[in-house]
Amino acid sequence: MKSFAGLGSMEGWLTRIATNTCLNILRAARRRPELVTSDLSENETEWLERVSDSSRAQPLDAEQKVIAADLAERLLESLPAEDRLALTMIDGEGASVHEVAEVTGWSESKVKVRAFRARKKAREALEKLMGRTGY
Amino acid sequence: MKDNHITDIIDNTPFVDLSDSELQTIHVHAATCLDCERAFASASISSLLIKERTSEAAQDTRNANPFFETRVLAAWREQQAAPGDWSFRRLWSATGAIVASMAATTAALAVLTFVAPADNTTNQQIAAVVPYSAETVVLDQDQDDNQLTNDQVINAIYADDDEGK
Repeated sequence: MKSFAGLGSMEGWLTRIATNTCLNILRAARRRPELVTSDLSENETEWLERVSDSSRAQPLDAEQKVIAADLAERLLESLPAEDRLALTMIDGEGASVHEVAEVTGWSESKVKVRAFRARKKAREALEKLMGRTGY
Repeated sequence: MKDNHITDIIDNTPFVDLSDSELQTIHVHAATCLDCERAFASASISSLLIKERTSEAAQDTRNANPFFETRVLAAWREQQAAPGDWSFRRLWSATGAIVASMAATTAALAVLTFVAPADNTTNQQIAAVVPYSAETVVLDQDQDDNQLTNDQVINAIYADDDEGK
């Protein structure tokens, strides 16, 4: 609290601290191996089958939302920490590239590259899962 | 054909931010390219997963700390209001420049108010004692030497009379 100079917004100050703390934790943590089909639970397999079939497209109920959140967590765990952060903030929270750059201290180019790589890796991981499960 | 694959489009932009023209390009291409159709479907599911995960995390945060922001702001205000060295430092860092400039301005005004009039008084006093100006002295030097004052004339006359007596 003493390090807060009171010059900028408190939200920005807290976000910066939280972001750096989370990044340090994620960097220190071991990277988990790639998500493979055998890692999926029966519910997750059903969930993937359901959402990939456009003819069965329906709003997610509470249970399916929880399954989706768990599956997303495991998908994101397979990404590098910085890629994960960029993807979560931009695609998940709807932040702009400029906002992510301000919060992280990265250049806007770096944010764009991280987000691009993260989207590509997440998409390819899902493609593999769906290919192997035959959807 | 490879150059026309749409994976760059879907990896460059958040899925929900894809424009109508980009979506049209993707659909036209995906209709004839199985790989890109699969890539598009995967990107769609990936976006959905991340949205759900963010939403879930936000809900968990709200449930865990419903008044987090209020408590943090209250603690910060308490620390700001607490008396002591820290508060004075904070106050000084915020207003120090203004206070210093105000003090300097006040000192300058005091000097102009009290010292400058004293100099004028001295000049006025000198002018009263010496009833001629510097210009008079310089320009009228010869005249002063040749002309006697009335007092000098009277003194000279009465001095002669006294000597005669």
